[in-house]
Amino acid sequence: MYLYLPVALTSVNLMIPVGLGLAVGLLSGLFGVGGGFLMTPLLIMLGIPSTVAAATDSNQIVAASTSGTYAHWRVGNVDFKMGIYLLIGGFAGGLVGVQAIKALRAMGNADFVIKMTYVLMLGIVGAYMFIESLQSMRKKKDAAERPAPEKDSAVGRSLKSLPFQTRFEKSGVTHSALVPIILGGFVGVLAAIMGVGGGFLMVPVMVYMLRMPMHVVVGTSLFQILFTCIEVTFLQAYTNHTVDFTLAVLLLIGSTIGAQIGTVFGRKLKGDQLKILLAIIVLAVTVKIVLDLTLAPSLLLGQGGGH
Amino acid sequence: MRSKGLLLIFFFFFALLIFPQASRAALTVKANHDHIKIDFLYHGSTVSVTGASDPGRDIVVKITSPDGHEALKQKGKMAGLLWMNLGTIEFEHVPGLYLLSSTRKIPDLLGTDEIKRLALGYDALAEQARISPAATPGEKAKWFAEFIKYKEHGEVYGDSERKVAVSPEGGRQDYSVTFDWPYQASPGVYTVSVYAVGDGKVLEQAETQVLVEQVGIVKRLSGMARENPALYGFISIISALAAGFGVGMIFRKGGGSH
Repeated sequence: MYLYLPVALTSVNLMIPVGLGLAVGLLSGLFGVGGGFLMTPLLIMLGIPSTVAAATDSNQIVAASTSGTYAHWRVGNVDFKMGIYLLIGGFAGGLVGVQAIKALRAMGNADFVIKMTYVLMLGIVGAYMFIESLQSMRKKKDAAERPAPEKDSAVGRSLKSLPFQTRFEKSGVTHSALVPIILGGFVGVLAAIMGVGGGFLMVPVMVYMLRMPMHVVVGTSLFQILFTCIEVTFLQAYTNHTVDFTLAVLLLIGSTIGAQIGTVFGRKLKGDQLKILLAIIVLAVTVKIVLDLTLAPSLLLGQGGGH
Repeated sequence: MRSKGLLLIFFFFFALLIFPQASRAALTVKANHDHIKIDFLYHGSTVSVTGASDPGRDIVVKITSPDGHEALKQKGKMAGLLWMNLGTIEFEHVPGLYLLSSTRKIPDLLGTDEIKRLALGYDALAEQARISPAATPGEKAKWFAEFIKYKEHGEVYGDSERKVAVSPEGGRQDYSVTFDWPYQASPGVYTVSVYAVGDGKVLEQAETQVLVEQVGIVKRLSGMARENPALYGFISIISALAAGFGVGMIFRKGGGSH
């Protein structure tokens, strides 16, 4: 059965967005990512204009991340305090990122910088997470009975010397309040430049720099993504008129259920298993983007807007 | 004698009155679907164009939207290596939708000037289109070919020769052709032009219109998105939050542990 989308001005088989929502919602509940880096290109392949695809995706992420945050909160896996600090930083970073984009566009090579930042970030994050979680899984196998003492990196030590140290009970870590704000800001800048939610960056930042346990990372990331996507949905609807409510409803039917199933699956997997799976998905997306960049496209023209 | 002459003159004018366009306007046109309504279940339509003409004529049917302007992202190789968006390319004097069908190949029916004047076929469209930036004729041809590829991919351009069927009917001929109407075609008024061709010239032409319009909830939603964006955004967010919570509650009740 086909449904007509009033803002995207196209017609889709309703099972396709529901199925896509289910798959991406599952990843969201499992890994704490919004999944925009997967969903937006898939929607464009369905014939949805790129600007409508990105804006509508953020609307559906509001639903998926509400569903996921709720499921994670019930099992005590959301660090609200950490989430709020990250949000403050992310919001400030977003403002800086938007200005950075303006400056890049004025210089005339914005698309190149955006694409390269995206590929490098995805590649580095994916490769690092993959290698790290593989090593950690091997170590645990080899020496399950003698856990190695957690070694603090030089960065970790210098972070500890910052003022405003505060305890994050849920995550079991102590940091300066400045750390999540600055890291959130860093992710916010990059996310705004790349035009993505930034979940795939925020998750490794929380795991490797804030040293939070993986399961709390997933819940907290979803909480943070929820607020970011509320803001983005409103701005897109208000200024660009690009949110297709009908499409968002179809997507969220799948994604809210997917996020619940993902949360249940996630609890059955170990932190390292979750990390390595996310790393594989991030690396697969990187390969796909690199192929898109190097293979000749079938169409040399595309709808205006977006990237 | 005089009355015979008067009678002849009378018959002459009577004949003109009864058959006013016997030699000029035998061509008729009708679109079966002249008002396409876009509702929630819309997935395109079909438009059959039928009519009658003098026998032995070739028929050309063209459906277009008014000429307009399109700005598209242009992909190219950066540094000879990477495919990316290199900028925006503008196409002017191009219709948003262009469907063409005929009884025979149009270049076999009409001369170049007539084809150009009536914008029949992609070559004629290329002549009237203005593309910028495109410095050389070679570049213009390349990007126009890409434009056609892009429009055909979206199913809003089509050039199908020899699809118009004709059948003799008394002293006339009936013609008919059916177009698949693409759901990608945006709401608006489209013009159906029919040309009856003979001896390398357009002998008659007729026109009708197809109106494509959003109705019901589709119209209300798209109107609200444009005219009341704050409320639209607010409703979108609240609905998403409610759906997220709702599904969360259902799963908790449905036997989720802890």
